[in-house]
Amino acid sequence: MTETMTKPEEKVLIKGNYAIANAAILAGCECYFGYPITPQSEIGEFMSGKMQELNRAYVSAESELAAINMVMGACSTGAKAMTSSSSCAIALMQEALSYAASQEIPLVLISVMRGGPGLGNIYPSQGDYNQATIGGGNGDYKLTVLAPGNVQECVDLTYKAFYLAHKYRNPTILLADGLLGQMMEPVTFKDYPYPEIDNSGWALTGAKGRERRLLRSYAPLADVQCDFVRSLFDKYKKIEENEVMYEEYLTDDADLIVVSFGSLSRNVKSAVNVCREKGLKIGAFRPITLSPFPSKELSRLSNSAKKFLVTEINMGQMVKDVRLAVNGKVPVEFLGKPVGSMIDVEDIVTEIERQLEV
Amino acid sequence: MATQVFKVPDSIRKDMRYGFCPGCDHGVAVRLVAECLDELNLKEKAITATSIGCSVCLYDYLEVDAVEAPHGRALAQATGIKRARPDKFVFTYQGDGDFASIGWGESSHAALRGENVTAICINNTTYGMTGGQLGPTTLLGQVTTTSPTGRNLEYYGYPIKITEHIAMYDGTAFAARVSLDTVPNINNAKKTIKKAFEYQMEGLGFSFVEILSTCPTNWRMTPQEAHERVRTQMMEIYKPGVYKDIKTLK
Repeated sequence: MTETMTKPEEKVLIKGNYAIANAAILAGCECYFGYPITPQSEIGEFMSGKMQELNRAYVSAESELAAINMVMGACSTGAKAMTSSSSCAIALMQEALSYAASQEIPLVLISVMRGGPGLGNIYPSQGDYNQATIGGGNGDYKLTVLAPGNVQECVDLTYKAFYLAHKYRNPTILLADGLLGQMMEPVTFKDYPYPEIDNSGWALTGAKGRERRLLRSYAPLADVQCDFVRSLFDKYKKIEENEVMYEEYLTDDADLIVVSFGSLSRNVKSAVNVCREKGLKIGAFRPITLSPFPSKELSRLSNSAKKFLVTEINMGQMVKDVRLAVNGKVPVEFLGKPVGSMIDVEDIVTEIERQLEV
Repeated sequence: MATQVFKVPDSIRKDMRYGFCPGCDHGVAVRLVAECLDELNLKEKAITATSIGCSVCLYDYLEVDAVEAPHGRALAQATGIKRARPDKFVFTYQGDGDFASIGWGESSHAALRGENVTAICINNTTYGMTGGQLGPTTLLGQVTTTSPTGRNLEYYGYPIKITEHIAMYDGTAFAARVSLDTVPNINNAKKTIKKAFEYQMEGLGFSFVEILSTCPTNWRMTPQEAHERVRTQMMEIYKPGVYKDIKTLK
């Protein structure tokens, strides 16, 4: 089943997975390659019909290994291309992500997290923060990772993922979760708001009227590889300087700031509201770019806040980045659970109150 | 007045020195690929997804656009390139380990789907670059660094006949095996590669050429002995010939 394509500016009630797929189409995604896995299969289902209708490329890949490499092949020609997958299947893509980062291939990967480790289950989880931001590929590399907190942001950040991937020639992950993928919310689809990036200086188009081009990661000479990796990190620094995104909520006078990302941030905001009604000075901070991480901003907030509470639907992954950012200035505590459902507003409030007493 | 009868193909890069081992057939194979690209006027529209192993060196020698695929994934990347840019000429040049062991899934499915790309597979019955270990095509009885007393069925199972498999798939338009052990066979290999390229240009589906090749260094042989081994041992099991030709099927 595929939902009907929506027209720009029309408000529609739509499931997160369809919203992402629809946004990819509107962003000009020319090629989709994928392999089914719950809880993101609607993306591939939608794309199979829509891409053929639009005469764009679609392949039901034989595996996630193949899918991500097909995306790499397509993107090496400068095309906008993507795949979508989840957790244990994205584990299979780590090799290609390292290659793509090294070869500066601007692919887009939609990651809709499910439970883990191993096969896990299909309940909502944020257990792949480390997988997305640190990754399992070899060597020194960084991906750009965007984490939407609602279905509208699934749309907006899918647009942005294509833009940033091509602007910086860096693989970009949209890190959603099963809850966002499966729930329906009202959404507006604007036209793709970013300029098209000129790929003509590097894309593989055939060596006509110029020297051949080579997208490689293999550098047998140590100094060549060293210079190359340094140049990658110069680029990552630029991304960090220009592209960090985050949301602050009532942090100005906050004694305690709750840090969360993705869908869980909605409950955190509610918990902050409950606390404010009780007269407690609580704020919230939500990284939207998980990589680059808003370290400077958290460091700044650690000058005014007395404590941070990080909450995640995992056993403590982003909390390490918060601790690095805060660098011991104030305590950084953690509230989490492995997998299954959101952390309830009441539980967050209870933990906040407990932390204020400690 | 002098007439030029022999030259370096335009598709060969001029600034590289030959780096393969003495007596290795990769050099001949790369040259044949370059001559075919020249003669079919494909250099300016060709894009290759390379492999890992000695065959990765292809991009050091060819003046064509290239992306470096992870080990075994060349035909997945070739699929992506061709689907994104159907007007380009897309080919891979892979070793037997890359094509038929770690990449067997990607290779088989590209053929099954009938991807309109060309794959060339160099079969030298060993992993060359890593020092001569047992690979998918290592012959029964063959001694390698990981089959020190020879390939036996008990520990290693059977070697794979790649072209016979690829020929079975409906998506395959052309599948052939050639060798480079004699001048007539080299000439035939070139004709075969050219035909595979032409099938892609005609949009007929997946085209495939397996090239039986030497690895004198890891076989511990002279170039002459190595070519003798191709003739007397490899060609007995991996028989040269055209195994699928969509034009003569009907």
